[in-house]
Amino acid sequence: MNDAKGGFNVPENLMVTSTMTFFLVHSMQVGVGMLGFEKYIAEGAGYDAWISILVAGIAVHLLLWMIYRLLQDCGGDLVSIHNFLFGKYLGGLLNLVFSVYFLLLSLTVLRTFVEVIQVWVFPQLNVWLFALVYLLLAYYFVIGGLRVITGMCLLSVMLGLPLLFFKFFPLQIGDVNNLYPMIDASVSEILSSAKTSTLSFLGFELLLLFYPFIKDQKASKKWAHFGVFYTTMIYLVSAIVAFIYYNEDQLQHITWATISLWKIVDFPFLQRFEYMGIGLWAYVVLPNICLGLWAASRIPKRMFKIKQKYVLWLYLVILLVISSLIDNRRTIDALNTFTNQVGFYFLLYIPVLFILMFIMKKVRYRHGI
Amino acid sequence: MWKWKKDKGNEFPKQNETVKDVTKSLEQSKDFMVYPLDGKTKCVLSYFETMVEPKVLNQLILPALKQNALQSLEEMKDVIPVEGLAITDDANLYRQRMMQGHVIIQMKEYDKKFLTIPAVIAEHRKVSIPEVEFSVVGPKEAFVESLDTNINLVRKRLTLPQLTVKELNIGKMTKTRVAVLYVDGVANKENINTVMQRLNDIEYDQINDSSYITQMIADNSNSPFPQLLDTERPDRVTGSLVEGKVVIIVDGSPHALSCPTTIVEFFSASDDYFLPWHLASGFRLIRLFAVIFSVISTPVYVAILTYHHEMIPQDLLATIVSSRADIPFPPILEVIILELTIELLREAGARLPTKVGQTIGIVGGIVIGTAAVEAGLTSNVLLIIVALGALASFTTPVYQIGNTIRLLRFPFLIGAQMWGLVGVSIVMAFFIAHLIKLKSIGRPFFSPIYPLRFHDLKDAFIRLPFNKQSMRPIQTRPVDSARFNQKRANEKRDVDE
Repeated sequence: MNDAKGGFNVPENLMVTSTMTFFLVHSMQVGVGMLGFEKYIAEGAGYDAWISILVAGIAVHLLLWMIYRLLQDCGGDLVSIHNFLFGKYLGGLLNLVFSVYFLLLSLTVLRTFVEVIQVWVFPQLNVWLFALVYLLLAYYFVIGGLRVITGMCLLSVMLGLPLLFFKFFPLQIGDVNNLYPMIDASVSEILSSAKTSTLSFLGFELLLLFYPFIKDQKASKKWAHFGVFYTTMIYLVSAIVAFIYYNEDQLQHITWATISLWKIVDFPFLQRFEYMGIGLWAYVVLPNICLGLWAASRIPKRMFKIKQKYVLWLYLVILLVISSLIDNRRTIDALNTFTNQVGFYFLLYIPVLFILMFIMKKVRYRHGI
Repeated sequence: MWKWKKDKGNEFPKQNETVKDVTKSLEQSKDFMVYPLDGKTKCVLSYFETMVEPKVLNQLILPALKQNALQSLEEMKDVIPVEGLAITDDANLYRQRMMQGHVIIQMKEYDKKFLTIPAVIAEHRKVSIPEVEFSVVGPKEAFVESLDTNINLVRKRLTLPQLTVKELNIGKMTKTRVAVLYVDGVANKENINTVMQRLNDIEYDQINDSSYITQMIADNSNSPFPQLLDTERPDRVTGSLVEGKVVIIVDGSPHALSCPTTIVEFFSASDDYFLPWHLASGFRLIRLFAVIFSVISTPVYVAILTYHHEMIPQDLLATIVSSRADIPFPPILEVIILELTIELLREAGARLPTKVGQTIGIVGGIVIGTAAVEAGLTSNVLLIIVALGALASFTTPVYQIGNTIRLLRFPFLIGAQMWGLVGVSIVMAFFIAHLIKLKSIGRPFFSPIYPLRFHDLKDAFIRLPFNKQSMRPIQTRPVDSARFNQKRANEKRDVDE
């Protein structure tokens, strides 16, 4: 389908290879959520919550398949799908909602990361100054376009790899019996835990926007699925390690299980690894914020004839102001829960879109359009 | 190059001059000689005394003119036993040839038509051993200031008809000869065109060294990272040419530039190819580690001692605390004092003659260092870290990147002082963003890392054996990318065959 509005035909030198889909999808999914998701998912299904992760992972695979069908059928991105299905005005409204949603994702990640630093490193941190510098960094990336952000995604996955290795330390002194009895929880409990883990899996829907930037779109499908699979596996390992180390009651008192587990890492030249871990986590979080901002500011660019730069500035100011205004743990918790809920409904929206597309195609086909 | 011709306002030198005008303006110089010859041949000779080789003039030109009775320039051209003679009436060429050390003969003074005889003094440094990029094994030739000698050094190593040399003159005043070398059929046309185009667009009055060119044609001239690799080794240039790179050699500069390049190339020494691959890879990794250490060691020291002292294990903490007990300054001030001292020593050492420089090194390194510790201004531990960091920054095989690394740690120090290790991470992320964006002649500078190119990783952080290097680096997009047939190389013999 041809889209009259500008910014759709992506020149080849701005594209990324299909392999990079793996990094884009994976690095957007893993963010601050990973640092403390264990407690929340264990609230529902207890220590069977690892099954919930698998369930959520499978659901995400399904959603990803739908997204690919949508994109392949429509041959564009989210904006063209919306325009195709709902027309200019309703579609435009939905586009804007998505833009705000991506901004919300960035905000949640940014503010939660600042919170992590406040809790673990600098209780007296000057939030707005830190947010300003971090957002300037994000701006520097986003202004370079998707290619530059993709580079950061790649590096963030590489830099995050050694952190996985440190899961080994708590495993040595943990107790496997914590996991037993296995499969004790009911189906509904497992599903509710799976729903709670939504926040950790959010981000792959950005594919709806960066899809036109992928060089070999057919080949990218397997990489996207591989990315989701890798995310699921990392969450699974993280959850199991946390469950093995802490017992069920203990875990309920620990907000940031992954960071707490880093404390166990001990070298002759280095104790309290969590400071370094949080330092490295700055790289893991960065692609989240950059991609979120990029996607959020790209939607208005696609809809109106407006420069992405200006939208980006506006969004940066919004993020800066809101993240400076939020100043206590309870608000941040509420923000996370809210994003989790909203994200869940946005994910539910994908099958709706898929079915609508299916019907629309049938109808149009019958009418010979 | 010729852009200045377009705006007639500030032409320099003036156009449409006659031979007479030029001669008049040249006559102001003391070393410009014009004299009529009254012998069998009647003519006027003019040349720059300081530019012309007396042997050529006295033993070849003058005897030929004096012994024969010549009536025209054409006859002279036949008689004078020097090659490269030309007869023309172009006033522009008159000035140019004169400046290049030609002897010019006219039948009468201010005559339009003239004969030019090349007789320039070929005075330059002998080819010597490389000093900046010294290697224990391998060839020991280094480029000199003469362009022709340098091209000769390359051609001797690469006896290939496809090796093409393009030449142009850059610099409104200096008219410096700049040669662009590439292997036709391997180098990508786009790269060559980009280089030629950028060189042609240079509009400046002087080109004194190849580093002028580096800064002028760089993709991002505000970047602290050099985007063209400069080398004084002909073997390195040959290697670059074969890989499909474009090489720029500037007359008067003993450093050639090769492009497009990548950041990892700045950490590869020519030794890496002379040693067995595992040793070479090991040394390359050590060098890379040294650079990282050199950049982030003192910032990490500041970060940990200022904010995260819990990170240091108890036993180590005792050592550090006891060495820092009497220090009146916070870690950041301590580090800045010591880092600046080291930079001072290095700068002084670089400016002073070699022998004095060594003395300064000893005085600075031992006396000031020991005294600073004893006076309680810095701690022993920090002294070790700073000294190691300085030492590590000298391991870079390319001098240019060493300069970058010297100053790179200061932004990191600011980050460390503000937000500890998180601050270090953030500053690093800024540099990563910069490196990802950076291009060298339009090709990504951060190449084998991002965009990820597995083939190029064979010769990046490590160097795999030659039988695995079947492809030329993809980064340069060579027209012909195969070095040899990998399939045939992989064929293995069975037992007892």
